[in-house]
Amino acid sequence: MILSLRDLVVSFRAPAGDLLPVLGPISFDVADSQFVCVLGPSGCGKSTLIRVLAGLQAASAGSARYQAQLIQAPSADIAIMFQDPNLMPWRTVLQNIALPLELRGMPRQQRHRIARALLPQLRLNGFEHAYPAELSGGMAQRVALGRVIVQQPKVWLLDEPFGALDALTRERLSLELLRLRAGGEQTVIMVTHDINEAVLLGDRLIVLSRGPGTIVDDINNTLPRPRHVEMMYQPEFIRLTRRVRAAIDKPSG
Amino acid sequence: MFTFIRIFALLLACGAPFAAAQTELQAERILLTFIPNVQFSPFYVGIDGGYFADAGFDVTLEHLQEPEVLDLVAVQQANFGIVSGEQVILARAQSRDVMYIFEWFQRYPVGLVYDAAAPIEEVADLSGLTIGIPGRFGASYSGFITLLQSGGLSEADVQLNEIGFNAPEAFCLGAVDAAVVYINNEPLQIRNLAAQNECGSVTDVAVASVASAVDLVSNGLIVNRALLDENPDAAALMVSALTQALRAVINNPAAAYLASLPYVENLPQTGAFITELKQIAAHQAEFLTTSPSRDAVAASRAALHQSLAEQFPPGESAQFQVLLNSVELWDAERLGFSELASWQAMGETLALMGFLDDAEQDLSAAFSNDFLPEREK
Amino acid sequence: MPSALGEPPHARPQPPKRLGRDMRQKAQRKNKQRKTALVAGSGAALKLSPFFSLLFLLACWHWITARALISPILVPPPSAVFTALADALADGSLAKHSATTLEEMLYGLAIGLGIALALGYAIAKVPLLEYILSPIIVAFQSTPIVAYAPLLVIWFGQGPQSKVVTTAVIVFFPALMNMIVGIRGVSPRLRDMMRSLKASRWQTFRHLELPAALPVLLAGLKTSTTLAIIGAVVGEFVASGSGLGFLVTLARNQYDTPLVFVSVLTMTAIALSLYSLVTLLEWRLLAWQRRSAL
Repeated sequence: MILSLRDLVVSFRAPAGDLLPVLGPISFDVADSQFVCVLGPSGCGKSTLIRVLAGLQAASAGSARYQAQLIQAPSADIAIMFQDPNLMPWRTVLQNIALPLELRGMPRQQRHRIARALLPQLRLNGFEHAYPAELSGGMAQRVALGRVIVQQPKVWLLDEPFGALDALTRERLSLELLRLRAGGEQTVIMVTHDINEAVLLGDRLIVLSRGPGTIVDDINNTLPRPRHVEMMYQPEFIRLTRRVRAAIDKPSG
Repeated sequence: MFTFIRIFALLLACGAPFAAAQTELQAERILLTFIPNVQFSPFYVGIDGGYFADAGFDVTLEHLQEPEVLDLVAVQQANFGIVSGEQVILARAQSRDVMYIFEWFQRYPVGLVYDAAAPIEEVADLSGLTIGIPGRFGASYSGFITLLQSGGLSEADVQLNEIGFNAPEAFCLGAVDAAVVYINNEPLQIRNLAAQNECGSVTDVAVASVASAVDLVSNGLIVNRALLDENPDAAALMVSALTQALRAVINNPAAAYLASLPYVENLPQTGAFITELKQIAAHQAEFLTTSPSRDAVAASRAALHQSLAEQFPPGESAQFQVLLNSVELWDAERLGFSELASWQAMGETLALMGFLDDAEQDLSAAFSNDFLPEREK
Repeated sequence: MPSALGEPPHARPQPPKRLGRDMRQKAQRKNKQRKTALVAGSGAALKLSPFFSLLFLLACWHWITARALISPILVPPPSAVFTALADALADGSLAKHSATTLEEMLYGLAIGLGIALALGYAIAKVPLLEYILSPIIVAFQSTPIVAYAPLLVIWFGQGPQSKVVTTAVIVFFPALMNMIVGIRGVSPRLRDMMRSLKASRWQTFRHLELPAALPVLLAGLKTSTTLAIIGAVVGEFVASGSGLGFLVTLARNQYDTPLVFVSVLTMTAIALSLYSLVTLLEWRLLAWQRRSAL
């Protein structure tokens, strides 16, 4: 088990002073190389879950472990991608992708070579010297993805990475994501509110209840790999999407 | 009918004097330097004592920087101003057509203040010392250079530091060994600080005045050429009024100080000191009815100086002491009269300092004693 | 280390009054105006327009003095000013006095900005510091420097030090405000991103906070450079033996109005040069903003 959550609870201190639970208690384990999609209505604590796993948010109770170690701070093995591209507007595409390597102290030539090598698969050829404001939303998000890949992390944490994009771009990027994870070695935890996207991408679909989010359903996605868009019309795909929707719509209690 | 005419005539008779008095008075600005201060008491007395009004002027006083005073008079924005003679020479060299017609300060007010315990006996002893000066310009600079010159020194023999008008602080903090000051004011301040043990190791100060070495032309009244051409009588009337006001201050400084109170900020208006001054002023007025000689009046001032210093703490009487010190710089047999030699001495100093290219300037055209009342000529 | 009991991210209660919020809005408005000006000024004739307005001013000046509408004592003709300029350049006096003033300005800027940026960073990071320091800083800023410049001269001596201090004091506040505004304006999401990349405090400053705050900092630097000459000259007016402020006093006392004009115009030239230098720096450092605006 690469990731292991036990009775994880996160509460926030409301301005009035009382504790406001936003997530949990929640427990699950993630096997190495598993692609987990986390779904749930808004406010169920999906993003909070990602932030805990990224070491950006502490657990109020229970534990989250990476390779049996408590997650207490960001780790080099775990990379996070946010809903916004979060690019630095003063850095070019290449410099943005190479940022994690620069922070690790890698010499300029080497880090730029590595970043440049990623451009073709990110479909960013010719844009290496462009600034973020000159990019479309999809391209900006591909730069952000490049910034994750360049870290060569064992775990990808994706917080609604394509949520802000239009449906067509989102679909295309989803498939590109699968392609970029070609070896399939990385463990992925992806939060999404798009059921089709989750069923198309995930090995496992975890559905959270309304906040504070707890697990309503934990579905094993048996669709074979490699996945492609045509699968969306197969009965098994439709059965899975129905099950997910039912779990989301289930009144919490 | 008769009654009506009589009332009308009566009304006219009542109104006429007021109307006449108002139209006759000529509004005049006199531009002064510095800020309102007891040193300007001749002008306050001139207004309060009616000397200006008697000469036909409704005077308002304004304070500006010296070059501004001179330029505004030169361009006829004002007819009268008070500046130092050196400024007249410099400005005339730059085509400002003004004339100096009344020397107010008969003795040059600049001097050097130093620790009385310091081994300074003569000007030559200043060699190598650090000396504070407001700046390398103006009456204090030319006065100091003249003083050095009189002792065979030049500016290169001393370390001259520009300290602005902060001589008491700079001197008492030990930043300078001596300071160029106006001798009627700052030495008194420093002496008071020393008396309160707030001036380092200094317990008393000595003053070397420029006037004791060389007679330099000092502060006086200037007018512009246009006034002299168009209305020379106004110049003579103003000089006459100022002469009388100045004489009144010299004769009765206590009364002059009391008259200055409304014009000068931050002076106590009541208290034992003011009560005492009122008695002194009344007593002096009585004394003056006996037409005493100038020496007798001077003796009365000296006695006053002494008795006040014994009666009151230095802080309370400080500004009155400044006035008494100033009177000693003003008093002369012939008020307003300036000597060509004092202009020439100033001209030489300015040329020496490199401030005056035109050393050939005809200094006798810079001033005139012709407007003085007969008695003072 | 995340705190054990989290608060909702980016929803911390704000202190009631924040220094410099208005300034930030102003800076943003200014930026907008600058962009439109750039677009409007693209024609060659428009680019030359400042030159023409200068020429027009010179012509007016010449005409007024040639017609003797104003006494040459108050406003000398341009020709007299040019002669005075040539003389002051030839004998080296203008260069000497300009060098003094420039040196005071640069030292003052370095010290004033250095302290302001360090303190501004600390205040932006530690809100408590703002509560403690803002009354002092605001009081200090509200006091006109001309009023206490004589005291500074007494405390720091009549030499260049006191002018360096007046300059440092006058450039301090805008730089401080801009630093606070700049650092507080850094996107919290980018901060999270840097945290997830395990960036050190220094790396966060070097790679995120500094470049993010740079536009505001450079705008502040422009204000500071124009203020710097005021600081230096105010100090020189109180007491000095060289510098352009001294040259004005000297020229006034010698009734050399053309030299007064030369001194004042030199101050303008120095201020404009420094301002242009910062603009050039801005042009180079903020190339991304220009590209992004297109």
